[in-house]
Amino acid sequence: MRPSRRAGLLCVALAWALLSGCGTGVSTAEQYKVTLVAKSTQTEFWLSVFAGAEAAATEYNLDLTIIGPETEEDYETQNQMVSQAAQAGADAIVFSAIDYKNNASAIDEAAQKGSKIVAIDSSVDSEMVSTYIGTDNYAAGQMAAQAALDRVDGPLTVGIINYDISSANGQERERGAVDVLKASGRAQVVAVVNTLAEAEHARADTETMLRRYPQINVLLAFNEPTSVGAAEAVEELGLSQQVFLVGFDSNVATVDGLQDGAVDALVVQNPYAMGYLGVESAYQLISGHGGTLERVVDTSTQVVDRDNLFTMDSQKALFAFEQHWE
Amino acid sequence: MKKDAPRTGLRTTTILVAMVVSVVAIILCCCIVLFLNRYRSAVVQNARTSSAQAVSQVSTTVGNYLKDMTQAMELVKQSISESADSRDKLLFAFLTFRPDVVAVTSYSETGQLLDCWSLGREPRENILQNLSFDLDMARASDSAYMTAPHVESLFEGYYPWVVTMTAPLEPGGQAAWVSLDLSFSSISSYINNVSIGQRGYCFLMDKTGNIVYHPQQQLLYAGLKSEQMAALAGMQDGTYANDTVIYCAASVADSDWRVVGVSYVDELVNRNVTEMIHLSMALAVVVLAAAVLTSWLLSRLLGRPLRGLTAAMESFETDADHFTYRPVGGTREVQELSDSFGHMVLRIQRLMSTVREEEVNLRKTELKALQAQINPHFLYNTLDSIAWMCEQGRNAEAVRMVHALARLFRISISKGHELIPIAKEIQHAESYLQIQKYRYKNQFTYTFDVDPACLNYYCNKITLQPIIENAINHGLDLLVDEGEIDVRVRQDGDDIVFYVQDNGVGMTPEQLRTIMQRDPTDRTGIGIKNVDDRLKIYFGKGYGLHITSEPDVGTCVEIRMPKLEEGDYEAK
Repeated sequence: MRPSRRAGLLCVALAWALLSGCGTGVSTAEQYKVTLVAKSTQTEFWLSVFAGAEAAATEYNLDLTIIGPETEEDYETQNQMVSQAAQAGADAIVFSAIDYKNNASAIDEAAQKGSKIVAIDSSVDSEMVSTYIGTDNYAAGQMAAQAALDRVDGPLTVGIINYDISSANGQERERGAVDVLKASGRAQVVAVVNTLAEAEHARADTETMLRRYPQINVLLAFNEPTSVGAAEAVEELGLSQQVFLVGFDSNVATVDGLQDGAVDALVVQNPYAMGYLGVESAYQLISGHGGTLERVVDTSTQVVDRDNLFTMDSQKALFAFEQHWE
Repeated sequence: MKKDAPRTGLRTTTILVAMVVSVVAIILCCCIVLFLNRYRSAVVQNARTSSAQAVSQVSTTVGNYLKDMTQAMELVKQSISESADSRDKLLFAFLTFRPDVVAVTSYSETGQLLDCWSLGREPRENILQNLSFDLDMARASDSAYMTAPHVESLFEGYYPWVVTMTAPLEPGGQAAWVSLDLSFSSISSYINNVSIGQRGYCFLMDKTGNIVYHPQQQLLYAGLKSEQMAALAGMQDGTYANDTVIYCAASVADSDWRVVGVSYVDELVNRNVTEMIHLSMALAVVVLAAAVLTSWLLSRLLGRPLRGLTAAMESFETDADHFTYRPVGGTREVQELSDSFGHMVLRIQRLMSTVREEEVNLRKTELKALQAQINPHFLYNTLDSIAWMCEQGRNAEAVRMVHALARLFRISISKGHELIPIAKEIQHAESYLQIQKYRYKNQFTYTFDVDPACLNYYCNKITLQPIIENAINHGLDLLVDEGEIDVRVRQDGDDIVFYVQDNGVGMTPEQLRTIMQRDPTDRTGIGIKNVDDRLKIYFGKGYGLHITSEPDVGTCVEIRMPKLEEGDYEAK
């Protein structure tokens, strides 16, 4: 009875197809794993990034892990974190590179293991980066310099407090600032210091710089901790009136400084957008809609000074809703 | 048997399967379309309802928050009207009790900050801009009013988002207005956590279309996201759905705030519908497959035995004699058909054999009648010869002639048997040749060369004589030289072959053909064709005569028949 056996086989195949069809229909889609490797987990800037990232993760139903090293110089730990994340099967890694060059190989390896790479805030020297979301750092540097040029008359003697020299975005900002200062014809950069991205070190280094070059009347600090440190140094030395300090990002200390006079302008980035868009792009890459992604997405940057500190836009840019005040 | 024209009709299997499948497919399509339509509208309704529920919940919560604020304001106003000492005490107790109140401030007629009560905090000396109090607005409104959320700007190092309620105080006191800053974080985190579906969210706006609070305001002000505020501002409370988004608006009681819920049709509706489409497609496939399977099985059940029957009929058509019918199984109708066919086959076969038997019998009777006929010329001539011999006194020769003639007739008749031993047939031929030799005055000689093993087999009687007669009449009669007739009998496997060879004038192929086709009409006796027919009737197509002849050389007639023992043919 050959035909009946064949019919039986067909029945079994049908039943199997039905069952498997139901199986795929009923089971919910598996959560994608996304790991955000930050430069730091401490500063307000990064907390705001995380808030944005978590909002996007909730929205797109992603399993988001946020990690970052203790200090903003520790690229080796970052590399470890990246390879661990890739090992653990992260579908995408949202990454902010401490070191433009030295983070590259870890990112390449992770990409080879199948993780999609999205760079936020600070990019890395890898072809595997699908999209970069962050500030146009060169333009931000230009804005910082322009803010000083607009508000200070006469010749400018400029001191620059920058963080780790191998970080791409710090160097970009410095380049933008120096280019604008040079173009103005009335500014001279007398000192550049690369300090650690940590307020205490930045304060000490700024004090040393100001003591050594008392003629400095404009200070540019290129990220949140260096701005805080520079503000402290200026206040401590009683130079609030003499020195025009342009800082980066929003921190309680620099906002206080802005009201007290120690800080004169802040270039405020949009960390929330970086986190949110970073994770959103990661989702789009994983789910196969990555084709529409731009290579570079510029999150907005704005300059806040004493006059527009409390406009609604500045309030929203500077003060996160998510902050918990103890 | 001529070949059938190629069939153009479709098989029952194909037709049945196609019909069932198409009917099922049409029904399924209708059902699925109907079902999906109903399902989609139900899901849309469901999404609208859940969206409306979420929004009304948020609206209630925000309303409660505001009501709570009004109540707190009453307390504050009462406390402030007390004397300075008990006022401070009451307010600090209030602040301890209500940790979500960030600060209470009082202002003079000119908008000067008079007092600030806040737990563990003192306002900074130089307040850059006090966002909690606006003199113009305070003067413009004659009752308590509320601001949009803003950052608390009174303190150093402390910038929480608050909503401020400002109320005028009873005139007469030092302070003209009192402001209450209530932390907004409880509401913001509540709104942040509201989700409608996976990606849907709520936000707060005021009546004029300004966003009061949006969970993604950092994206909004950066221009990375936008809301259609103008359209939303003109919207009444209720639920509005377009192709991609469901908007749901609800006013917050006792304020000019509104809650707007945004949810996505795509994830709330389309995903469910797509899932349902997939499911119903899978189901449709299964049902179709089942339909195909059952109709296929059904048609096999019918079609296979029918095809078996057809094949049987075809083979019966090609070879009716050797066809043995094997009944075909299947449903009862088919079995009945099969049985009928079986009966019919038996009937036809029986009829055919009867017809054949009758035909053979007829031929045999014909032959017997023919054989019974003695060529009268031969008889007259022979008798004339004998008479002439007697007259001449050649008595011995006459006696031999008479004997030969008698033997010839005896064997011709053979008691009516058709088959006689080959020995007899040889005697018959010899007698004939003897007589003819006298008559032809020794114009020819003859020899017999017979394999003795053949003698006991049987053959049809009067097989050789017509051949020999033909050889004498046509081959030797016209010959000038002395003629020769050689008769040989040999075994050839299961056959016996007679050869009758003469050295006469021979025949052209045309003559050969006429001899083999012509019935003896003008002459009596048995013609060559008759011998051939007879052998073929008795033994089949493979037997009979084969003549090879060459003009001026001679003719050889080959007679082939099977080895027959006595009684063989009757047994057959």
